[in-house]
Amino acid sequence: MAYSDKVIDHYNNPRNVGQMDKTSGEVGTGLVGAPECGDVMRLQIRVNPETQVIEDAKFKTFGCGSAIASSSLATEWVKGKTVAEALEIKNTDIVKELALPPVKIHCSVLAEDAIRAAIGDWKKKNNVAETEGVAVAAL
Amino acid sequence: MNYFDFFSLPRKLVLDVAVLEKQFYALSRKLHPDRFAAKPEAEQEAALAQSSLLNDAYRTLKDPILRTQYLLTLEGVELEEQSKAATDAARASGVEKKQIVPPELLEEVFELNMQLAEMKAAKQMGEDEPELRRDLMTAKDAFDARMVETQAELEQLWVAWDAGVDAGDDAGKARAKDAMVVLLNKRSYLRNLVRDVNEVLDGQAV
Repeated sequence: MAYSDKVIDHYNNPRNVGQMDKTSGEVGTGLVGAPECGDVMRLQIRVNPETQVIEDAKFKTFGCGSAIASSSLATEWVKGKTVAEALEIKNTDIVKELALPPVKIHCSVLAEDAIRAAIGDWKKKNNVAETEGVAVAAL
Repeated sequence: MNYFDFFSLPRKLVLDVAVLEKQFYALSRKLHPDRFAAKPEAEQEAALAQSSLLNDAYRTLKDPILRTQYLLTLEGVELEEQSKAATDAARASGVEKKQIVPPELLEEVFELNMQLAEMKAAKQMGEDEPELRRDLMTAKDAFDARMVETQAELEQLWVAWDAGVDAGDDAGKARAKDAMVVLLNKRSYLRNLVRDVNEVLDGQAV
């Protein structure tokens, strides 16, 4: 199957591969899987407790080129965003940016799931209600 | 017409493949193009369409995994669509999406993949040591064993499903169906791991 140039670029030069300390209170970890093809993706964020800005993001994905590209792009996009802003990233944005074919849409779904799972983990650690928009930093 | 109907089979999963094969050959002969050579074109085309359906149906039903997946689809399971719908719901409500795959399995798959990646990296660095090969062989044996276990578990679920069909027990059917979905997901992961380990091992043999 032909991958788009952007997918190939992310695949060959994945951004932000790595891991962070799972136990840190500022770090949120999301581990998700796409059973359709057996992919597994871990995405981590480090959130500034004052500003709720995601200052760093790392990922490690085992899967096809589209899954790797989707998670690589996801880390690029969440960096510099607030938690609330990051929650607005939709899988369809990723599909558009990477020109993913229909059979690879589940890779973008996985990346969105990973972002939400990482933020969910961070919220749990910091006693932020799951459904809270966290639009404004407390105080 | 669905594949079970085509072979006049109930929608059950325990299936005698030898009987299916006999039926397949009998029907193949009946639908063979030679028998229709002198017939009107419409009849020839109809036979061809039936023949193509026959082949698809046979190929799907004789394979235990394809058969299970096909039945689940008939029963309204659409993994990808459901996954996408769940993500949409999570986005709308803010409540975290429940992953289809149990978290502890994801953890395990992730860890195993990490180990595999390390082994691959070591191999690329030229550290093609017997120890490494042994580790991989051990891993391969473990995965193979779990694939066999998965198959056995699946066959138990077939029995549970079929019993539900016979008894008209919808709750029992639903339980078996959900368990099969989880099991097939698990199997996808295992299958990938087996494939990846084999890749590394084959590479080493060269």
